[in-house]
Amino acid sequence: MQRPNGGALRATRALLRVLIALNLGLGVAIAAMLLASLFAESWVFGALGVRPGAGRAALIAGMRLMAVIGIASVPLAHLVLTRLRDVVETVQQGDAFISLNATRLRTIAWTVLGLEALHLGVWAVVTMASSRAQGLDVGWEFSPTRWLAVLLLFVLAQVFEEGTRMREDLEGTV
Amino acid sequence: MPIIVKLDDVLYARRMTLTELSERIGITLANLSILKTGKARAVRFSTLSAICRALECQPADLLEYAPGPEDGEEDRDE
Repeated sequence: MQRPNGGALRATRALLRVLIALNLGLGVAIAAMLLASLFAESWVFGALGVRPGAGRAALIAGMRLMAVIGIASVPLAHLVLTRLRDVVETVQQGDAFISLNATRLRTIAWTVLGLEALHLGVWAVVTMASSRAQGLDVGWEFSPTRWLAVLLLFVLAQVFEEGTRMREDLEGTV
Repeated sequence: MPIIVKLDDVLYARRMTLTELSERIGITLANLSILKTGKARAVRFSTLSAICRALECQPADLLEYAPGPEDGEEDRDE
């Protein structure tokens, strides 16, 4: 089998390692901020631009809920990145069409679906927490492209599964 | 697997070894061994005809269908 492009794969593996570390770091940072908000509410939310007065309580509750959603997304993102790293490893080894990779792709597809569900959860929180007095603006917008990407991942996982099965059949063909 | 490969019997009848067959028809010893031991999932017609030509036999001399209690489930394409 022809060896895959070593340079591109090495760069991809390095990038994935960085993203895995950044994701975990982000989770720690959000958790630290949430914890700090419990002990120093005025300082933390004042720094985040929450003004005293109408809508403050709802806004603070909403921002804490969003922090929880952010923390919840960290293990999901970790799952996606580590499974992707494992797939890239098999490409590096020159044997990517294995049933384990089909399973990994399906796991990635379901996990990204979970992340999109969490993204919808952010919209729900923004809607509930915002008031006429103080709005919660996180730049949320619905993106059909992201949902199309989820569909693409499921299709890709199925194609990979079929390809792996065909390859296994071929390997046993004399 | 309900298909039984009788390559051993035909080789014995023709007084030929698997190695000699492999050299004659250009199929690796490893692949012929997979076929002989019943581990092959499928056989190409080109392989079958090469073996039949070398051993001067018919496909029916090499393959036998012996249905078992689970036959039908293995053969079903899904």
